[in-house]
Amino acid sequence: MSEAEIIPDTPHPVRTTFGMLWRDKFAFCAAIFLCFIIFCAIFGPWLLEDVATKQNLRGRNAPPFDFSRPWYFWLGGDALGRPLLARIMVAAQNTMMVAAGAVVCSLAIGTTLGLIAGYTSKLGSQVIMRLADVIMSFPSLLLAVIVLYVLPPSVFNLVIVLAITRIPIYLRTSRAEVLEVRERMFVQAAQVMGASSNRIIFRHILPVVLPTLVTIATLDFALVVLVESSLSFLGIGIQPPEITWGLMVSQGRAYLTTAWWLSFWPGLAIILTTLSLNLLANWMRTALDPVQRWRLESRKTSDE
Amino acid sequence: MRSFLGKRAIASAISLIGLVVLVFFMTRLTGDPTDLFLPENATQEARDNFRRLNGLDKPIIVQFFNYVGDLLRFDFGDSVRRNEPAIDSVMRGFFWTLQLAAVTMLLVTVAAITIGSLAAFHVGGVFDRIATFFSLMGASAPDFWIAIVAIVVFSVGLGWLPTSGTGTVWHWIMPVAVLFIRPFGLILQVVRGAMITALNSAYVKTARAKGVKNRPIIFVHALRNAMLPIITVIGDQTTAILNGAVIVETIFGFPGVGKLMIDSVLQRDFNVILAAVMVTAFAIFLMNVLIDVLYAVLDPRIRY
Amino acid sequence: MTNKYSCVAAVLFATTIAGQAMAEELTVVLAEELDIVDPCEASRSNIGRVMLQNVSETLTEMVPGEGVQPRLATSWEEMDGGTWRFTLREGVTFTDGTALDAGDVAHSIARFTGDAISCEIGDKFFGGIELTTNVVDEMTIDITPNPAQPIMPLLASTMTVVPSEAPIDAYVDTPIGTGPYVWDEYVRGQHIKMSANPNYWGDAGAVTSVTYVFRSDAAVRAAMVAAGEADVAPNIALQDATTDMDFSYPNSETLFLRLDHDTAPLDDVRVRQALNYAVDREAFVGTILADGTILATGMTPPSTLGYNQDLEPYPYDAEKAKALLAEAAADGVAVDTEITLIGRIGNFSNVQETMEALLAMYQDVGFNVKLQMFEVAEWLEHYSKPYADGRGPEMVQAMHDNANGDPVFSMFFKYACDGLQAGLCDETIDSLTAEATALTGVEREAKWSELFKYIHEDSVTDVMLFHMVGFSRVNSRLDFTPTIRTNSELQLDQIKFN
Repeated sequence: MSEAEIIPDTPHPVRTTFGMLWRDKFAFCAAIFLCFIIFCAIFGPWLLEDVATKQNLRGRNAPPFDFSRPWYFWLGGDALGRPLLARIMVAAQNTMMVAAGAVVCSLAIGTTLGLIAGYTSKLGSQVIMRLADVIMSFPSLLLAVIVLYVLPPSVFNLVIVLAITRIPIYLRTSRAEVLEVRERMFVQAAQVMGASSNRIIFRHILPVVLPTLVTIATLDFALVVLVESSLSFLGIGIQPPEITWGLMVSQGRAYLTTAWWLSFWPGLAIILTTLSLNLLANWMRTALDPVQRWRLESRKTSDE
Repeated sequence: MRSFLGKRAIASAISLIGLVVLVFFMTRLTGDPTDLFLPENATQEARDNFRRLNGLDKPIIVQFFNYVGDLLRFDFGDSVRRNEPAIDSVMRGFFWTLQLAAVTMLLVTVAAITIGSLAAFHVGGVFDRIATFFSLMGASAPDFWIAIVAIVVFSVGLGWLPTSGTGTVWHWIMPVAVLFIRPFGLILQVVRGAMITALNSAYVKTARAKGVKNRPIIFVHALRNAMLPIITVIGDQTTAILNGAVIVETIFGFPGVGKLMIDSVLQRDFNVILAAVMVTAFAIFLMNVLIDVLYAVLDPRIRY
Repeated sequence: MTNKYSCVAAVLFATTIAGQAMAEELTVVLAEELDIVDPCEASRSNIGRVMLQNVSETLTEMVPGEGVQPRLATSWEEMDGGTWRFTLREGVTFTDGTALDAGDVAHSIARFTGDAISCEIGDKFFGGIELTTNVVDEMTIDITPNPAQPIMPLLASTMTVVPSEAPIDAYVDTPIGTGPYVWDEYVRGQHIKMSANPNYWGDAGAVTSVTYVFRSDAAVRAAMVAAGEADVAPNIALQDATTDMDFSYPNSETLFLRLDHDTAPLDDVRVRQALNYAVDREAFVGTILADGTILATGMTPPSTLGYNQDLEPYPYDAEKAKALLAEAAADGVAVDTEITLIGRIGNFSNVQETMEALLAMYQDVGFNVKLQMFEVAEWLEHYSKPYADGRGPEMVQAMHDNANGDPVFSMFFKYACDGLQAGLCDETIDSLTAEATALTGVEREAKWSELFKYIHEDSVTDVMLFHMVGFSRVNSRLDFTPTIRTNSELQLDQIKFN
């Protein structure tokens, strides 16, 4: 469990990390793809805003793979004749902001509450869990409509609504893990040795619980992006001409049978990002777990 | 166990009451159905009359006590839009949703646990890679893609399956298949992750070292240990379907409770929203009790 | 082996479903389920499409191009004091066996104008009008509207007739009417079934029974007709209308932007003109909107009485728009104020694209415009009075449906000072509307034309955009062409088989 045993024989942590990443080719590709997405999210709107918003009604739904046109038209044009590739790159920023915001918030809040619920008094646990029941049963669309009515439309509100609806899954999952982990030998031992609750939770329990939660979080990324678009259609959050991948997918829905590329490419961007996040999460889970770390340290892996 | 269930029933009843109060007042923050129901040129008299007929002219606190009074006589009020008691609409939809959730989650559970465990047996192996890749693709793809493409291919193109509706077992194939994909991907990932940890844990290694060669036994022991987060996530995904499988309901014309809920929120049909929230909340609370009981059954160290 | 068998079974099964639709049976796939199935709600398009003239008939019938025709009333005349006398058709029975008489008509009118239930026909067409009925004899009824209604025969085309047994204080679950079809059953969430009425007074149609099913996704409705599971999908999306089974029809909807004349800079006529010149209307037609979409110059469809055919739509002229803006700015008009363009989510199939295109066009000529799309309830708060204080300048996208043939159903609400959706208060408009409402015949037509011209050219009240087009998909075994009325009704006895 301690980090001490890893450090001595390694030359440099960054090099080791890179080396371990290089050994898992899938994770390596995932990392490169995510770097590209992050690049788009930071610089996309600044570089391509004009290209991505220039409409051309008479050239709408231009098919993809027309390499005689500028590169940003290679994935085709949308229903208003705007280049899809450029729009996907610009949309990365809003998408990442909303999805990352919502997933990280719900992960952090949900996990914290779950750890508390799993490790505190019965009353505290009962209160938190029944609150989670209420959130789970509260229709998310209703929540969105209420927010729409009571608060002014803003991206922040959108993130709040999305985060609230996703809290219970992290809360319940982390609590379930805690219930099991706290009975394990090493936690019992720590308790006997007089470690504080905080220390037990964050040093001993959290590292065991986290991998499952991160797995859920990576898939939640896709879910949140797609749900976000349905809320945008209610008038809350991201509004056209601002754009997200989820919004692009939804707007392309009506054209699915006649111009598939409208919703396919942004959908593919969501899938690839989710896939990359997940592969990287799996890699990290292996890399951070001293028991499994060997898989990445020598070229000879257990592959059969 | 009996005292646990008793306490739990009281706590759940309190949260159900809290939920009803919350939903009652919060829905009323979002306006009322009058302007949505009447034609846009309706006179003020017509609007006042509509409010009077539906009890919306009274102060909100009076409306609340009237509602509670009716509720004590198991009268959930009438739908404003549909000429019938709110609870009838809801129960009819919930009956379909429940069947859909039961069939789908049964298939998902069996498939995800089997395939996820097999994938965990050879981490990084071909089977693992393929299972991970396809389940993640499915889980992060927009579900309406699959639904509409399935209709175009299997109904219009090949003529094998009816496009939509209910009636025969053939009508269920596409809705269940579409609904299957996302929870399958998520649960498979959780199973895989939890199993990797379990298979690497001390006691499984001990068992192996002691010469337990029988794979099924190792498998079952590891699975039992990994089961807590898995059933939690299964529960969460079932909740998601019980709250409404909206895409499946809108595309396949499946008369479930999800679309009813959305329509009622958008039309401000308060009684139907409340009835739907109560029915689904009851089911969700019940399921969460069941999951907590399962924790104790699966892991005897956990006591409430 | 088993697998192969089940595949074959599936194919056979699917073929049977398709084959089951016999020559006389019809399946119609609609977008929305019916919430209330009472004839007094038949003016709602989702209810009317099932019920109107199929189960429930009206006193008169408005036939485009032919004017008001007899239906349950065979003749009518104007008496003294604004009273209208309607003579009913002999030998008509309701599907419950009772005969139609003047008492039923009086009861129907009392029912939809009364306050014991909320009826759309009463609220939509007779708001502010008091109807007094007098049963003269079994087959004759006098109806006296107050204030007087020169277009009473047209108004009578909206009145569905129910038997006097229909409860006055509750909606019915099984509508009873005089029409060519009998309401058999409604399984909520699934289907409505109707069959031919053997005792119908008129000619029987070719369709002997019909099933209505409901699918909210337009692509699925189109797919159902393509797969042979349904025969008619009255309402599909433009982008799905790609086969020779698809028909377009003017759907009597008019798309426009309502401008808020109370706030700067929209109170300046040059700004409103600039807003009109800035829109490249032609660019929408055949792209985001269907071929056959007509550029609008007035609130009602061109087939409406008094629609001014001489008016020209504002041409696209970005330079002129910029010049007008500059001119207004020079006079101190705050043309840089941010204007909110408000759209209604899901109003028609390409509303999102339309609004984004409009936004870009306005930004191109230098307007400071922000787009905000709202779901219907929130949108209504901006569209209908009372408007919020301190709202800032707003342009509200709306679609208005007037299939009734006379502008009176539109003008007051959209333009009068007291009109619920009016964005201005203009005495000229008010007096022209009042004058036209009181007139009949050619004079009425001329007065409406004058009003249309004033609104379009002098007041530049709003940004008129398009008269819209709808699409239906019809199985090729049917001989049926959708018309402007398909939006509000679908008369089964007019459907023939090839």
